[in-house]
Amino acid sequence: MSDLTNLVGPLEVGHEMRGEIRRIANNTRARRQFISRVMMVLSLVALSVAAVPLVLLIIVLLRNGIPTLNAAFFTQLPQTPTLVTPNIVGGVSNAIVGSLALNLYASILAIPLGILVGVYLAENETKFATSLRVVAQTMAGAPSILMGLFAFSFLVHDLNLGFTALAGSFALAVLMLPVIVISTEIAVRSVPHTLREAGLALGAKPHKISLKVVLPSALTGIVTGAILAVSRAVGETAPVLLVIGGGFLNEWRPLNPVSALPLTIYENAKSEWPAQRAQVWGVALVLVAFVFVLSLSARIWASRKQQVK
Amino acid sequence: MARVPSELRRDDEVVAEFNSATTSRSWYRNLLIVAAVLFAVVSVGFVGTILWSSLPMWLHHAGTLLWGKGWNAPVGPFGGLAMITGTVETSLIALLIAIVIGLGTSIAIVFVIPRRLRNVVATLVELLAAVPSIVYGLWGLLVIAPWMQNTVNPWLNSWPFATTIFGNPGQEFGTSLLLASVVLGIMILPTFVAISREVLAVVPQDLVEASLSLGATRWQVIREVVIPTSKVGLLGATFLSLARATGETVAVALVAGGVANAQFHLLYPGTSIAAWIATQFGESQSTEIPALMALGVLLMLLNFGLSLLSRSLVNRQRRLLALV
Repeated sequence: MSDLTNLVGPLEVGHEMRGEIRRIANNTRARRQFISRVMMVLSLVALSVAAVPLVLLIIVLLRNGIPTLNAAFFTQLPQTPTLVTPNIVGGVSNAIVGSLALNLYASILAIPLGILVGVYLAENETKFATSLRVVAQTMAGAPSILMGLFAFSFLVHDLNLGFTALAGSFALAVLMLPVIVISTEIAVRSVPHTLREAGLALGAKPHKISLKVVLPSALTGIVTGAILAVSRAVGETAPVLLVIGGGFLNEWRPLNPVSALPLTIYENAKSEWPAQRAQVWGVALVLVAFVFVLSLSARIWASRKQQVK
Repeated sequence: MARVPSELRRDDEVVAEFNSATTSRSWYRNLLIVAAVLFAVVSVGFVGTILWSSLPMWLHHAGTLLWGKGWNAPVGPFGGLAMITGTVETSLIALLIAIVIGLGTSIAIVFVIPRRLRNVVATLVELLAAVPSIVYGLWGLLVIAPWMQNTVNPWLNSWPFATTIFGNPGQEFGTSLLLASVVLGIMILPTFVAISREVLAVVPQDLVEASLSLGATRWQVIREVVIPTSKVGLLGATFLSLARATGETVAVALVAGGVANAQFHLLYPGTSIAAWIATQFGESQSTEIPALMALGVLLMLLNFGLSLLSRSLVNRQRRLLALV
């Protein structure tokens, strides 16, 4: 009982001040809510500021890029403008052929190997596997110019192959590899264990389970990862800049120098001919459209399949 | 039917044991091991080749590379100070931009906008990340640089004391360290938002609801509960964005101006380590290549250090939240 009286005592003192307390409380409450609203509005402002570059970029790309796109853009070889014909720049078919070849070879090099390594990481918990995982994660964030330096000193310099499509594909493959490894590992790990157990219970051999049960169930994730890796590689300039050599022919053979879309942008952006600078926007538009279609379709496909499950 | 969860949980161990016991001879398992070893060889080769090619530089001119000022192309000396300061300046300013806008964006995505819009906005941010860096560089060079030159530079220089920070090039240069920082900031923004959004979204709902029920406003919940709970993860996002900023190459090569000039005035042209490698490599001769490779080693150390740090921070955040 004595506790209660102790408690009640101060309350009665407070009773006289209740109006005052409520006034202060209402005051701070209004202030707190005002501050909260201001901060929420500020965060929306930040969101819109973040959206501005994307909107501006797309507007600029479409407005400057679309007028340069025509049949010649895709089918003709580039021409250097002269004083007599300052507006004749030809097309960029060499860059399109070169980019397709580079990314095809890079995919052949990187995708099968990356999937195998990803499956290995998902099915092993050895010290080797753990450190390989850290290596893959670190390599996935490595600056792409370093892949170019690697390809240069290994293929161009040490093996003395010269500037080739192969060297560019090698650099792009090193870039894609860790991305594919990581996404494959995640996809394989997310396959329910009950599927494996069912296979084991039926007496299937482990590699049969891996190939016929686990990999098909993980296929969506693996394919999504591979597409995202390709879409990243298509737009990369730095690794190919050092090793593919460029050129003005529709070249695709692995041991010859080739051109590429990003390389064309890099070289022509600083051109002294206005017509060449204008055409660069078309190349950028094609590149961005390609990358967006790849990555959006990968995402949509992945989310569809997830819903089916 | 009775399930025995404790037995079932151990099945992954059983599977692993079974795998290693019966399939050590299987071609499939050997194939996996060969692939893993090949990947390890490629990774070691990646680091080793670049280190090896830069060795002459480290043995004879390490001091010049780290502190020297001039870069005399075919013969040397090759001083890397301008590239190092350029990298530090541009990526720190870019980081500042990305944090201020990015944190607000993540808070807006997670706590403010309607749930239905969340995925759409998140996809848009990811698209921003998918735009190739060369396109940002092109945009910076052909659209923003002229605007900087004619509008922003004179305006900045009309401020008192601005010249001490920015220098006073008038309308001489459009490409500058400041432009490179802004373009970099835009480029690393999606990285920062992607990670910080995830970090903020996994703060336990109990904590948020408990403080809401105590009468806290939304901003108080964010400031007093959400951010303190997720600060380790946010730090991880910061370091990963910084790592991205240091490694960006072609965009900086196009918009920074490409001048190896060790100075701090932001409106003058400069360069960064990665951009300098890209711009110099084209016409480099065999004497210059070790120096460029050595710059590559610096970039690699910086990048790997930052990304390992950020990964350990993000992992620590995950463990912290697992305990809550």
